[in-house]
Amino acid sequence: MANITKKVSWSSRADESGATGEGTPLLNGSEQPRHSRQLSEGRSIFQIGRLSTVDLEEEITSDEDSLRGRPKEIPHNEKLLSLKYESLDYDNIENQLFLEEERRMSHMGFRCLEISRWVVCGLIGFLTGLIACFIDIVVEELAGIKYQVVKENIEKFTEVGGLSISLILWAVFNSAFVMVGAIIVAYFEPIAAGSGIPQIKCYLNGVKIPRVVRLKTLLVKVGGVICSVVGGLAVGKEGPMIHSGAVVAAGVSQGRSTSLKRDFKIFEYFRRDTEKRDFVSAGAAAGVSAAFGAPVGGVLFSLEEGASFWNQMLTWRIFFASMISTFTLNFFLSIYHNKPGDLSNPGLINFGRFETESVAYNLYEIPLFIAMGAIGGLLGALFNVLNYWLTIFRIRYVHRPCLQVMEAMLVAAVTATVSFTMIYFSNDCQPLGPEHTEEYPLQLFCADGEYNSMATAFFNTPERSVRSLFHNQPGTYNPLTLGLFTLTYFFLACWTYGLAVSAGVFIPSLLIGAAWGRLFGILLASITTTGSTWAVPGKYALMGAAAQLGGIVRMTLSLTVIMVEATGNISYGLPIMLVLMTSKIVGDYFVEGLYDIHIKLQSVPFLHWEAPATSHWLTAREVMSSPVTCLNRIEKVGTIVDILSNTSTNHNGFPVVVQVAGNDEPAKLCGLILRSQLIVLLKHKVFVELARSRLTHRKLQLKDFRDAYPRFPPIQSIHVSQDERECMMDLMEFMNATPYTVPQETSLPRVFKLFRALGLRHLVVVDDENRVVGLVTRKDLARYHLGKHGLEELQLAQT
Amino acid sequence: MSPHRHGSFWGFIVFNIYALVSGDGGNLTASETPPLSSVVLSSAAFKPGLGSLLSLNLLSSFPEDLEISDYCSQLLLIFGQRYVAYVNCLVPAARPVKVCQNCFSSYGSLTEIFSNISSDQVGPGNVSCRDSLLRSDRLMLVYELFENLKVLWEKSNCNNCITKGFQNMTSDTLHFMTTLNQTLTCFEQYQQKNKTELCTNCKTDYKNLNVLYGGMEKNKTMCIDIEDAMNMTRRLWSKNFNCSFPREETVPVIAVSSFMLFLPIIFYLSSFLHSEQKKRKLIHPNRAKSYSSLMNIQDNRS
Repeated sequence: MANITKKVSWSSRADESGATGEGTPLLNGSEQPRHSRQLSEGRSIFQIGRLSTVDLEEEITSDEDSLRGRPKEIPHNEKLLSLKYESLDYDNIENQLFLEEERRMSHMGFRCLEISRWVVCGLIGFLTGLIACFIDIVVEELAGIKYQVVKENIEKFTEVGGLSISLILWAVFNSAFVMVGAIIVAYFEPIAAGSGIPQIKCYLNGVKIPRVVRLKTLLVKVGGVICSVVGGLAVGKEGPMIHSGAVVAAGVSQGRSTSLKRDFKIFEYFRRDTEKRDFVSAGAAAGVSAAFGAPVGGVLFSLEEGASFWNQMLTWRIFFASMISTFTLNFFLSIYHNKPGDLSNPGLINFGRFETESVAYNLYEIPLFIAMGAIGGLLGALFNVLNYWLTIFRIRYVHRPCLQVMEAMLVAAVTATVSFTMIYFSNDCQPLGPEHTEEYPLQLFCADGEYNSMATAFFNTPERSVRSLFHNQPGTYNPLTLGLFTLTYFFLACWTYGLAVSAGVFIPSLLIGAAWGRLFGILLASITTTGSTWAVPGKYALMGAAAQLGGIVRMTLSLTVIMVEATGNISYGLPIMLVLMTSKIVGDYFVEGLYDIHIKLQSVPFLHWEAPATSHWLTAREVMSSPVTCLNRIEKVGTIVDILSNTSTNHNGFPVVVQVAGNDEPAKLCGLILRSQLIVLLKHKVFVELARSRLTHRKLQLKDFRDAYPRFPPIQSIHVSQDERECMMDLMEFMNATPYTVPQETSLPRVFKLFRALGLRHLVVVDDENRVVGLVTRKDLARYHLGKHGLEELQLAQT
Repeated sequence: MSPHRHGSFWGFIVFNIYALVSGDGGNLTASETPPLSSVVLSSAAFKPGLGSLLSLNLLSSFPEDLEISDYCSQLLLIFGQRYVAYVNCLVPAARPVKVCQNCFSSYGSLTEIFSNISSDQVGPGNVSCRDSLLRSDRLMLVYELFENLKVLWEKSNCNNCITKGFQNMTSDTLHFMTTLNQTLTCFEQYQQKNKTELCTNCKTDYKNLNVLYGGMEKNKTMCIDIEDAMNMTRRLWSKNFNCSFPREETVPVIAVSSFMLFLPIIFYLSSFLHSEQKKRKLIHPNRAKSYSSLMNIQDNRS
């Protein structure tokens, strides 16, 4: 289908250019730029048209020869790149306007900019902390009410009979909450589904995910997270904090809200992708820091996920944002807990303190930890593979919003059912502790004064369960309980991740890991003679949690620091690091990390740290898109409008070429201009003729481009009259006069490095005479990846 | 510092204490003497110049101003007697725990004498016993002894059951005790007969007790005596008489849960069969086919 439309559009354009071409010999003249422009434009377009049609025909025939009957529509799979994702313009556009503005700006102005960057970072931290605090309090209150009601109900029916009614009540409660959460996600903002970490990873990588940093997304995210955690799903509220922080950052740094149509007229300088992306990395760091009470971990998360371009000042500012965020959360939670000024609640998840005496580790335990890392890697890989198949199924078959809501509700109901059944049939009764560490102890069929130990794991918010697994006395859980819990929770969490609810995978992973880690510790203590003295279950629960989390998400540096900071015990640094390393090595042998899988399944053109190995033989010539739609330095408005409104080729960057005066030589590259810039120019009608007639016409400034950012109007909304189509536009002032170029022979890894390090969006490939041969974009690079059979190529698809 | 000098130093201190204690005279019992003297002997081995044990004992006392006054030694004597009395009361009350209800008065008198000792009030003869008895040496024996018992008292939360000034037990506690006794008599009454009868007949009493206990738990007006008594009663009720709720609704629970578990299977099957599979349109990007073809085109162009 795509080919046909392309052909049609080409044919029409070829006619047009042919028509102009006819007139060219008559109007040739060096003093009349308009006419020479027309000539060159017509020629170049014509050539491109010819090239392209030739190309297309070749492609079709070769396709039909080699792969007869290949479907043009294929089921969704991981080996696709979606067209809907675009790059961020991280590279600064150094056009004349920019230089002028810089010249006009005083030294003081730059100082103020620097200060306002700090102010913005402080605000990001503060607001992120507030959001985290809000989520925490609301979840705690609502979950408290829910568990209280269900508990009273269970107690009542244990006595008089009819426990199946309690079961139904619990399931209905869960489903109702989850339904609300799923409806707002599925119907209002599907991008808010999941933990948001894959999306933020992509954003920091330089991919513009549509609607990912909107205010609406933030609202849906916060509401959705509250609903899904209160709804008792096997999820956590930590992952979404990172997304929330990023949205806050993107919003605050712009000094306005496009959704609310409010412009505060501040921070106008930051309204471009470069600055915004830097602030978003600060926001993500602030989110991590609020979620885990790990400011350094937050900074390192941003570094690990987003660092293609990094400087010390930015790192320092990000650290500031992180600190402010964890401090804010701390402060407000201390007020909530009626202990104002007591700053001991550093994150949403609090691992509690590991006192060094009782949980010190020994040299001979290190191999055990490494073995746990390997187990974590295996289980993580299993989790990821199962989730991968499930997600494929969901994308293919469960794509209608109503189905997604139903699925989420079913998962919630089943989670409640499974939990209830486990609790019902559990015979593990433990005496109530003196300090009542159990928030909602369920007695059920236990003797009076005892509680059902399975219920502390299931009948609780996941954060509390993690903490009780870490810190409860040895002997609180019996091995059978832990084994069953691990098994059920593993499948529940795997099933839950990827639903149309906003929820994170951090806490469920920690919980699974803590459960089997504790089991490991208990078994260790029972099989070794001296084990009971050193095999403290809490310690092994922590290591198991780290191993499982590492096996699922495969983060390295940042996760180590986050875990160390969350436990507040620096001496665990080494074992946690070893555990995470092992789990990553073992897990990577089987399958990628969960976030990478989801990025792939969303067909995002994601650039990894390095180009795929064994790709040095590929040169820019093979990689690039060709032919390129070029514009002349002085171009006819009609042509520009036509090019921009061509739906089949949704190009964003156009090399600007200039004709060498007077001869037939093909045009040479002199700059690069973006679609967004052209649209702003068209909107303000910056035409040569109009400028001549109206001398007082205000000169276009960089501010006009910033005002239109980030939602540039589509070309269809810009009205260009028939007369105006004949006008000319001088792109000289607006184009980036020094775009990055590479020769055709450049190898893929070199091109890749340029993209990754400079955050490029377009890279022009030129021949030895500086003529445009092709254009490399992110999608051209991202389509190569190392598969099972060597280098594989992904296909572009419309999604 | 060499180990030898350390040893002699400690030895010297022990010797001093011994001298102090022996100066008090009759408090020393015969059984305590041998170990003490052996310590002194070993210390004497380091310092043979100080003379024999006999000469040490003959050194009757320190000069006047260093000795404790008669008043203080009187206080110390009373403290010792009350201490012994309290400990004598505590030990038999260990199991079942009755440390609060049995021993609160002796604890009260103990604290009284201790507060006398530790007050800055100057007694007769213009001396304060606080400094001389409580903190004139490293061991601080009197203080430590009392502190241990105080920790015990606080751990057992006895303050919650005893009125201010150790006069009596609080009315809540007494009420609880009467309810407890009621329940226990009921248990005794039916113990010989059928267990199920006990479960039904004593249920109201037991439930009342539980409610009362729950209320006290919430108000934090409990002490170890009540907790322990309640624990024992609960154990009797649940373990010995087996009056806990039986698990008898297994069938409906299984039915409901298997129905719930069945729903997702239906859901996924139906969406697999009825939902339209999402297809992606492939797009063929424009690419230079190969270097040679590109060269050809360029040649043609020029």
